[in-house]
Amino acid sequence: MLRFLIQKEFLQIRRNAFLPRLIFIFPIMVMCVMPWVMNMEVKNIVVEVVDNDHSQSSLRLVHQIEASHYFRFRGLQPTYDLALKDVEKGRADIILEIPADYGKNLSLGCPSQLLIAANAVNGTKGSIGSAYLSQIVGSAVATPLPHRERLRVGELSSGMGQGAGLLLYNKPQNYKLYMIPALLAILIMMLCGFLPALNIVGEKEAGTIEQINVTPVPKWTFILAKLIPYWLIALFVLSICLVLAWAVYGITCQGPLALVYLLAILLALFFSSFGLIISNYSDTMQQAMFVMWFFVVTLMLLSGLFTPTRSMPHWAYLTTYVNPMHYFIDAIRTVFIRGGALLAIRHQVLALLGIASFMATWAVISYRKNQ
Amino acid sequence: MQAIEVSHISKSYGRVKALDDISFSVGKGEVFGLIGPDGAGKTSLFRLLCTLLRPDEGTALVDGFDAVRQMREIRRRVGYMPGRFSLYQDLTVRENLEFFATLFGTTVEEGYESIRAIYSQIERFEHRKAGALSGGMKQKLALSCALVHNPSLLFLDEPTTGVDPVSRKEFWDMLDGLKERGITILASTPYLDEVRRCERVAILDQGHLRGIDRPDVILDQFRDVFCPPPIDRQENSLPHREGRGWASVIEVSHLVKAFGSFRAVDDISFTVGQGEIFGFLGANGAGKTTAMHMLTGLNQPTSGTGRVVGFDIRTEYEQIKRHIGYMSQRFALYEDLTVRENIRLFAGIYGMKDREIREKTDELLRRLKFEDHADDLVCSLPLGWKQKLAFSVSIFHEPGIVFLDEPTGGVDPATRRQFWELIYAAASRGITVFVTTHYMDEAEYCDRISIMVDGKISAIGTPEELKQRFRQPDIDHVFTLLARQAKRGD
Amino acid sequence: MGQFVSFVIKEARHILRDRRTMLILFGMPVVLMLLFGFAITTDVRNVRTVVVTSTMTPQTQQAVERLAASEYFTLTTTVPTPREAELLIRHQQADLAVVFTSKPSAVQFIVDGSDPNMAQQWTAYAQQTLLPMVSTPLPHREGQGGGPVTSHLLYNPQMRSAYNFVPAIMGMLLMLICAMMTSISIVREKERGTMEVLLVSPVRPLMIIIAKAVPYLVLALVILTCILTMSYYVLDVPLQGSLFWIVLVSALYILLALSLGLLISNIARTQLVAMLLSAMVLLLPIVMLSGMLFPVESMPEILQYVSAVIPPRYYIQAMRKLMIMGVGVGDVLREVTILASMTLLLLTASLVTFKNRLE
Repeated sequence: MLRFLIQKEFLQIRRNAFLPRLIFIFPIMVMCVMPWVMNMEVKNIVVEVVDNDHSQSSLRLVHQIEASHYFRFRGLQPTYDLALKDVEKGRADIILEIPADYGKNLSLGCPSQLLIAANAVNGTKGSIGSAYLSQIVGSAVATPLPHRERLRVGELSSGMGQGAGLLLYNKPQNYKLYMIPALLAILIMMLCGFLPALNIVGEKEAGTIEQINVTPVPKWTFILAKLIPYWLIALFVLSICLVLAWAVYGITCQGPLALVYLLAILLALFFSSFGLIISNYSDTMQQAMFVMWFFVVTLMLLSGLFTPTRSMPHWAYLTTYVNPMHYFIDAIRTVFIRGGALLAIRHQVLALLGIASFMATWAVISYRKNQ
Repeated sequence: MQAIEVSHISKSYGRVKALDDISFSVGKGEVFGLIGPDGAGKTSLFRLLCTLLRPDEGTALVDGFDAVRQMREIRRRVGYMPGRFSLYQDLTVRENLEFFATLFGTTVEEGYESIRAIYSQIERFEHRKAGALSGGMKQKLALSCALVHNPSLLFLDEPTTGVDPVSRKEFWDMLDGLKERGITILASTPYLDEVRRCERVAILDQGHLRGIDRPDVILDQFRDVFCPPPIDRQENSLPHREGRGWASVIEVSHLVKAFGSFRAVDDISFTVGQGEIFGFLGANGAGKTTAMHMLTGLNQPTSGTGRVVGFDIRTEYEQIKRHIGYMSQRFALYEDLTVRENIRLFAGIYGMKDREIREKTDELLRRLKFEDHADDLVCSLPLGWKQKLAFSVSIFHEPGIVFLDEPTGGVDPATRRQFWELIYAAASRGITVFVTTHYMDEAEYCDRISIMVDGKISAIGTPEELKQRFRQPDIDHVFTLLARQAKRGD
Repeated sequence: MGQFVSFVIKEARHILRDRRTMLILFGMPVVLMLLFGFAITTDVRNVRTVVVTSTMTPQTQQAVERLAASEYFTLTTTVPTPREAELLIRHQQADLAVVFTSKPSAVQFIVDGSDPNMAQQWTAYAQQTLLPMVSTPLPHREGQGGGPVTSHLLYNPQMRSAYNFVPAIMGMLLMLICAMMTSISIVREKERGTMEVLLVSPVRPLMIIIAKAVPYLVLALVILTCILTMSYYVLDVPLQGSLFWIVLVSALYILLALSLGLLISNIARTQLVAMLLSAMVLLLPIVMLSGMLFPVESMPEILQYVSAVIPPRYYIQAMRKLMIMGVGVGDVLREVTILASMTLLLLTASLVTFKNRLE
C-alpha cells in the first residue's frame, strides 16, 4: 500500500511544472552563489585620508594603507568635514586624519595622536575596520620602544599579525568552509519543510484528501508516504551539495560522511514532520506558508548558524535547548570541519532524534481521518 | 436591434478549435438556451460575449456594442455568472451579497425583489461564512449575487448545477419574472426541464453550431442525445428484496449529527439491502452529505447507531473503509495523474496485487473504451469521462457497497445514461449502490429511494410506492411536494 | 466611490478574518526586532576556555584569575596537555585553550577556527585580557588613550547590531507584506474564479487593483509604525533623521513593492507559483544580496552587480543613513532617485502586462 502511495507522490512531483526544476536548480544555485555571499569577512573598506601634515612619513603611511588588501583607498580629502560628508553619502567607510606635525613628532620619538573615525552603523565592520587601520598606523608609528616583556603573548596568525597562535581546523580561515554545513541545513529546511507543508494543504484545497480519508489507508502510512519522497529528495540534494562543495570549492568533509547523512536524515525528519503539523492545522496555502516561514526564520536565527549561540543573552540561549537546528548546526560543523566522530556528537544526535520523533508522532496524531 | 448578434465567430486554444464559425442572434427580452455536451464551447462563447476573451475571427455585438472595441460599454450592461462562480469563503453570506451589489452599483435593498425567491431560503444564515455553507446553498448564494443588480443582459453558464429540483423551479420562475422586465437571458443547462423553459435553444457540439430552434424541435431532432431510451434493466438481476437471501448491508437507527445546536441530521433510521440501488434524495442542505459522511466513517455521529457491511460506524469505521467504495461530490481523482496511474493508486491502496491490477485495468479500459486515453492526464478529460472513471475506480476493488455523492452533477443526458448503465452493471454483480442525485429521472432508476427534508427522512420506499402514496405522476412531483414543506434552509 | 470603499472594506475583511496570517504579520516584526536587537550578536561572551598547564606557578595562577574574572571567558576546566585541550575543542566542549608552556614566559592560544571571524576576535580579546600583566601596554591597541591613535566609532559607538538591522528588517518586511500578500490575493481571485465576475462588472480593472493595494498599503504603514516605535522605545535605536522623510521614502518603497506584487500576480496563474515566485525571487535575494545580513562590498564583483538591481538594497541604505546616521535628505538623493525610477519602471511594466481579459 505504501509503495503505491509513494509512487503517486513521485509522479505528482514529476508532473508539476515547477518542482523538479526547483529540486535541481535550487541547490546548485545555493551552492554556487551563497558561499560567496554568506561572508562575514570584512573586505573592501573604503578609506579616506585627511592629511594635514604632507610630510614624508604621512605619505608613507598613506602608501601602506593603499597597499593593504583590506582597504580600498579612495583618496585624500583636504578637511575632515569633507571626508565626513563622503561618509554620510555612503562613499567612504572610514576616515584617517593625520595631524599637522605628525612627521616631525614621529622623528622626535613622541608620536602625536592620529584620528580614526569609522562608520559603525554596521558595528562589526566599523570596529574591525578601525582595528585594522590602527594596526597599520601602529606598526608605522611603532619605533622600537624599550620592551620589558615578562611573558610573550602569541598572536594569532591573521592576515595582519604575526606570531605563534595555533588555529585549529579551519587553517586557511576560509569562511566558505564554515558556511557550507550551514547551507546544507538551509537546503534541507527549505525542501523538507515547505514542500510537505504545501502538499497536504494542496490536497485539502483540491478535495482529494476526502477520497483518501474514506479508503482504509492507515494514518501513519499516509503520513509516511508523504514524507519518504521528501527525505529521498533531501538525501539526493545533500549528495549534489557535497559533490559541488568538492568540485567548486575543493572543500570536503573532515569526519565520516555517514554521520553527515545521519544528521541530514534526522533534520529532514524534524522539518518534514513540522511541515505536516502546520499543514494539518492550516486551511489555506497562504496560512501554511506564512506560519512555516515564521518558525523557520526564528529557528534559523537562534540556531547559531550566523552568530555564535554563546554570544546570546541568557534567555535566548535557553531556547537553543529545544532548537533542533542548533543541535544540527553544532553537530554538522563538528563532523564537517573539526572531523569529529560519533562520540563527539552523541548528545546532539540523541537530542535531534528525540525532538524529531516527538514531532513525527505529533504529525501522525494531528492528522485526523475521522471527525 | 437584436440583443446579441454573433457572426462567424471562431476561437482556438492552440490547436484545439473551441468555436468554429458560429453565427446566431438573440432578440431583446428573449430567454435563449445554449446546450450541448461537455467541451462543446459553451463557456468560451459566454466569455467571448462578456468581453473576457477576444475572438480570433468574426464579430459579436452585445446590445449593439462590439465585444472587442466597446468592452467598457458592454461590461456596464451585462450580468455574468460563470460556471465555476465562486464566493469569498471568508466573508459572510450578507457581506458577499452586499459586495456584489455595490460592485454593480446597486444595494441589496434595491435588488431584493429580484432575488427574493432564492435569497429568502438562505437569508437566515446571513451571518454564516460562505465557506461553511453546503454545496447547493453556495450555488444559491452565487445566484443571488449574480442577480442582485438589474442588468439588461444576463449570461448564465450552467447556473443550477448541484441545485435541488425545487430550487431550480423557483429559479426559473424568477428568470421568467426578469424576462417580463425586458431582460435578455442567455443560459446554458444540462437539465431537460430547463431547456424546455427557454424560448429558443442553440445546440453546440465540438465548437460547431448544430441547430437553433424551439426547444421541442431541437429535443426531437437530437433525441438520441437528449432523450436516450430508458435503460432496460433485466428483471432477474433485481435483488429479491422480500425473499430469502436478502441481507441488509446498511442499518441505521436514530442517527443524529449536531453541529452546536444545529441538527444537520436529525434522527434518521433506515436499512438498505444487499445489491440494492438506493437513492438518497433531499433538497440542498437537507443533510444528505453529512449522513453519508457518517456512514463512510468521515464523521462521528452525535448519537444513534449504524452498521455498514456489519461494522459499527462509531467504532469500526476503519474496517468499514476496507469494504466500501466512495465517490465524492468534488473530483475524486488526482488530476495530475494519468488514467492508468489513478486506477493503479487506488487499487494499490486496497491491497490488490500488481498482476491482478494490470489485468483488471486493461479489462476496465476496454469496457469503458478508454484504451486510447489510458495515459492521458485526468485533468485533460471531459467532465463526463472523469465521472465515469471515478465511479469505475471506486468499485475497482469490488466493495460490498459504493457511496456516490451527486455523481452526475453537470453531466449531459447521454453521458448520464452511460453512467447509469455502469451502475446497473455494478448492482447486477451484487454491489449495493447508495447514491444521491438532483436528477429526478435518475431517482426513477433506483430500486428504493428516501427523501430527506430538514435532516429527517420524510418518505422512503420504491418509486412506485411513493408515487401512489402521494398521488403524484412522477418522483419530481413527489419531491417538490415534500421539499416545499421544509422549514429550514440548511 | 461607493464601489471603491466597499472593495477596500471587502479586502480588509479578507485580511482581518485570517487570524493566523494576521498573527504572523504582526508577530514577525516583533520577534525579528527582539531577535536582531538582543539575540543576534557577534559579541564575544562566554567563550568556553580551557587552561592547559602542567604546573601552576603563581604567574599562571594570576593569569588564570584574570581570565576567570573577565566577562568574555568562562573557564571550564584545566588539562595538562594541549592534546587533551584539542580533543575538548573537537568535541565542542571548549572554544579556546590557553596554553602556559613549560618555558617560563610564553602563552599560546589554541583556538577553534571554524568561524574565522570569531576565532580572531576570541584571540584578540584573550590577548587584551592577558596583556596588562604580561607586558607594558603595547602602543598600538585601539582606543586606549595614550596610544598614537584615537578611534571614533561614528553613529554607533556601542556597536549595537540593532542599529544595523532595524533598517534591514523594515526593508524585508515591507517587501514581504506588500509584494507577496498582494500578489497572492490577486492570484487567489483568479484561481477561484471571482476575477471573472469582477472583470465583467462595470468597475474599471485599474480600480480593482488599486482597491486591492490600499489595505496592504495601510497594513504596511501600520507595521512600519510598529517597527519604528519598537526600535525607538525597546531597542533604543535613535531616530536621528527627520521622521517625515523616513516615512516618505518608505512610502515610495511600499509603492515599489506593490507594483512588484502586481507584476508577479500578472505572471503567476496559481497561488503556489505566486508564492514560490515571491519566496524564491524576492525573499531569498533580499535576505542574501541586499546587504541586510552580509555586506555587499565583501561579495564577488558579479554578485555586486546582481545586487545592484535589488530594490531593498537602496531602501536599506537610505534608511540606515536617514535613521541611524541622521543625514539630510540631500545625502540619500541617489538612493531615492534609483528607487523612484525602479518604481516607475515596475509600475509601467505591471500596468502594461495587466490583462483586462482572461487570455
